[in-house]
Amino acid sequence: MTVMTPEPALLPKRRSKSAETKRYGFFPGCVAKESCTELFNSTLLLADKLGIELIELTAASCCGASVLNDVNRDVARVLNARTYAQAEALGLDDVITICSTCTGHMRAANKELLEDENRMEQANGILGKFGANYKGTVSVRHLLWLLIDDIGLDTLKSMVVNPLNGLKVAPFYGCHIIRPESVNGWESARNPHSLEDVITALGGEAIDYAGKTRCCGFHVQLEKEGIAPNMVGQNMRMAKDRGAEAVLTPCPLCHLALDGYQADSAERWGRTDLPTFHLPQLVALALGVDPAALGLKRHVISPGPILQARELAQMHVA
Amino acid sequence: MADKIVLDLFRFDQAVDEVPHRDRVEIDFPETSTVLDALEYAKAEVDGSISFRRSCRSAICGSCSMNINGTTGLACKTPLKTVLRDDRSVKLDPMPNFEPMKDLVVHMDPFWDRYSRLKPYLQPADKDSDHERERRVSPEDMKKLVAVANCVMCATCYSLCPVVSVDPSFAGPAAIAYAYRFIEDVRDSKRKERVAQISDDYLWLCAHCYACSYCPKHVEPQDDIIAVKRISIEEGLTNAPGPRHALVVAKTIKQSGMLNENEVIIGTVGRFNFKGIASIMPLGLRMAAKGKVPPLFMKPVDKVSEIRTIYEALEVPVG
Repeated sequence: MTVMTPEPALLPKRRSKSAETKRYGFFPGCVAKESCTELFNSTLLLADKLGIELIELTAASCCGASVLNDVNRDVARVLNARTYAQAEALGLDDVITICSTCTGHMRAANKELLEDENRMEQANGILGKFGANYKGTVSVRHLLWLLIDDIGLDTLKSMVVNPLNGLKVAPFYGCHIIRPESVNGWESARNPHSLEDVITALGGEAIDYAGKTRCCGFHVQLEKEGIAPNMVGQNMRMAKDRGAEAVLTPCPLCHLALDGYQADSAERWGRTDLPTFHLPQLVALALGVDPAALGLKRHVISPGPILQARELAQMHVA
Repeated sequence: MADKIVLDLFRFDQAVDEVPHRDRVEIDFPETSTVLDALEYAKAEVDGSISFRRSCRSAICGSCSMNINGTTGLACKTPLKTVLRDDRSVKLDPMPNFEPMKDLVVHMDPFWDRYSRLKPYLQPADKDSDHERERRVSPEDMKKLVAVANCVMCATCYSLCPVVSVDPSFAGPAAIAYAYRFIEDVRDSKRKERVAQISDDYLWLCAHCYACSYCPKHVEPQDDIIAVKRISIEEGLTNAPGPRHALVVAKTIKQSGMLNENEVIIGTVGRFNFKGIASIMPLGLRMAAKGKVPPLFMKPVDKVSEIRTIYEALEVPVG
């Protein structure tokens, strides 16, 4: 008899205390605090427009970035438990991320803690050494999910003052916000459409292409020359061939790889030159934040030409 | 009850065709059946030349893996109604990352090659005849191996792997999962050799994308890959970009709480690897020209000593 396994059921949506009070814990992640500070700034400007308060967890550590598991099976989980304990101490039950990798790895750690009391005990045993404790009340969510669940697509649409005028945008999810489905489970990993929904709400046109759920190669860029540029080129070629003018990603790591490596991938995959927006940048632009404040001049591939062509912003960049 | 269903098929015969074409085969068939049942019906009733591999029809033999609407999976395990598109069609292609042979049949050689290189059989330290009875494994030790034992070698993971798609020298998820299965087998005596060999087969090229989490048998190769990496560090195989990367990430988080981008790049490539540093310079300069430069001095996060306490409690190795 053939065993039929349906796709895993998606998680039930629950209204968090943070959603009621519009006060959220904020975990910006390493890239938005280091090489791409414009992504951090854009997020705070967007939060202002949305009328929500993002309270940065200033003692939080790196999530483990999918790499820490390679040296020790417990350390990333305990570090994240420490981060959740900080959120709890501030009375916050949502930790909002702006990175696919942070989302996936912080959710994985939380799942392990909540499903295995030995692991929770181990974490709290160590946290206890400095007087901290994690009760298990936190959920980790990406800003993308907050936009859809807490703000709502209709409300978001009504807030748009600078519509994208049909700008053709290719969504690029970033692996860890969708896979493994057992960890994320907010939407189907094979057929996600949250980014498309946001693009449409902002007045853009979402481009469908096979690369949207594939990998940018960021995590393997230093292991062997050529791997990440090829993965970037392969995906951007598909997007470009479907008519994309720009890319939208919820992940700063994808943003860095897609923006940085298209120049290197041109030799094998042809020139693609697709400007790559990080989610808060494009949403903030449509909601009327001054484009000059969004750090768009810091992109390797300038979004200036397409923004001018669609009459979205005047940018005088090289 | 029969429903109108369209199979949107990749057609190609390596022996005669220069380029592939597509056929839309219309059948009346219940949508509660599987993709494989629909293919069998189309072959029997409409076009006997449609080619695909299949045997058990029960997700045990691993033969019928194919690309279904863009994602590879087992045709026998995929209900039609979960994949029918708005126009009541389903798009069927041969597995990506393989050379097509005929229609949905591919040349599996690279996959088998990766597997046979592992010497995928037990290599105990002594002879069977030295033992009065079978070699016993405790239930606890066996637990580590059972997930991989479910692998049916359908190559779904290999087909979905984005690293394989750009660099076939990567061993791929299934081979690494099998390496793990023998490395962790208490009856085997070749742990060191096996770890060294899979490291040479670019273990560390895994891009952490978790596409192999779509495994139809829930082997979860992504967890085995992480475990083998950890074992390779334990075995002292740290002089390569992959392990250096993991260890320097661990070190910088211990120092400041954050992953220090500058330190990690230099530490991974190697401080005195001038050729390696030269190869990443163009990207670095491109980013620097736009102001995308990580801070030279990392301000530690609040209460950073707590992070050191965690590291010490767990005895985390750092680079």
